[in-house]
Amino acid sequence: MKARKVKGLDPGAPLRENAGRIVCVRLAELRSFLPVALEEDQVSAQHDMRIAAKRLRYVLELTEDCFGRSGGESRKQARQLQRVLGDMHDCDVLMPLLERRLARGPDRGLQLIVSRLEARRRELLDDFRALSAEQERAEGVWERLDRAAASAAGTNNAASLGNRG
Amino acid sequence: MARSRDLSGVVPEAPYGLVAQRVVEARTEQLFEEARDVLDLGDIERVHDMRVATRRLRAALEIFRPCFPRSRYKAALRDVKALADALGERRDRDVTIEVLERLASELDAGDRNGVAALITDLRGAQERANESLAPHVSAVRMEELRGRLRALAAAARS
Repeated sequence: MKARKVKGLDPGAPLRENAGRIVCVRLAELRSFLPVALEEDQVSAQHDMRIAAKRLRYVLELTEDCFGRSGGESRKQARQLQRVLGDMHDCDVLMPLLERRLARGPDRGLQLIVSRLEARRRELLDDFRALSAEQERAEGVWERLDRAAASAAGTNNAASLGNRG
Repeated sequence: MARSRDLSGVVPEAPYGLVAQRVVEARTEQLFEEARDVLDLGDIERVHDMRVATRRLRAALEIFRPCFPRSRYKAALRDVKALADALGERRDRDVTIEVLERLASELDAGDRNGVAALITDLRGAQERANESLAPHVSAVRMEELRGRLRALAAAARS
């Protein structure tokens, strides 16, 4: 997934201002996959959201001090999101491999593994939905980061930086 | 892996271009610290650690892109991506084998033949991915990359 372009970055301006612009865009990018990614069969949206969570996490690893308390808190939340979506992705990679093998002929062990992976993926989807609901609630972690990033960028309109509608 | 507070000069008030220089220098050194024994199939964490360091370097390059001369930036990013792809091919096989071995260990002994055959095939793919990775992490290639990344960091403008 190609990252959204961040406009208005200035090498001569302080890190805080530039970091604010980058985080507004990366956070909007992450949130743009909702609510679609919450659907069980939306594997592609879940994969792209995992990449978006990773991008936000890596920006925050370098810039969290620009956003007060919400910087470190958001980095941890992005990591949690990346982890649960990453575990779902691991299931999505393994299952076709096992199914191709099973197409050659029945195998009780491989079939048991497929069943366990399907159950594991359902559990992970529940975890993802719960985590996302908490992150997206009013005054939740993403709202706080959005405000802090807009303030660092010198605007009170984060949506204009994040390319949101 | 170092966060901003562990990197000297990376403070909110510092010029973005200066921070770019410090971060890319630090991330470059971290990558080379993780390069040792990366082809050792007996210790798959070596590839994992180097891949994470490569991802963080790549992320830093992308975050600070406007601070670097365009052509040098593009060349460095292309090289880092090629290294990351080669590491990723090896890592994907490592992870698949590791997960399947864990799942197989939970099966009754009589149910393990199919998954054991699959793991054997994957070990062949793992060795081929390791052979493809080898030229990317040779001493000569790595020193060239280090030189290009250091020059890129030094050219950051503020």
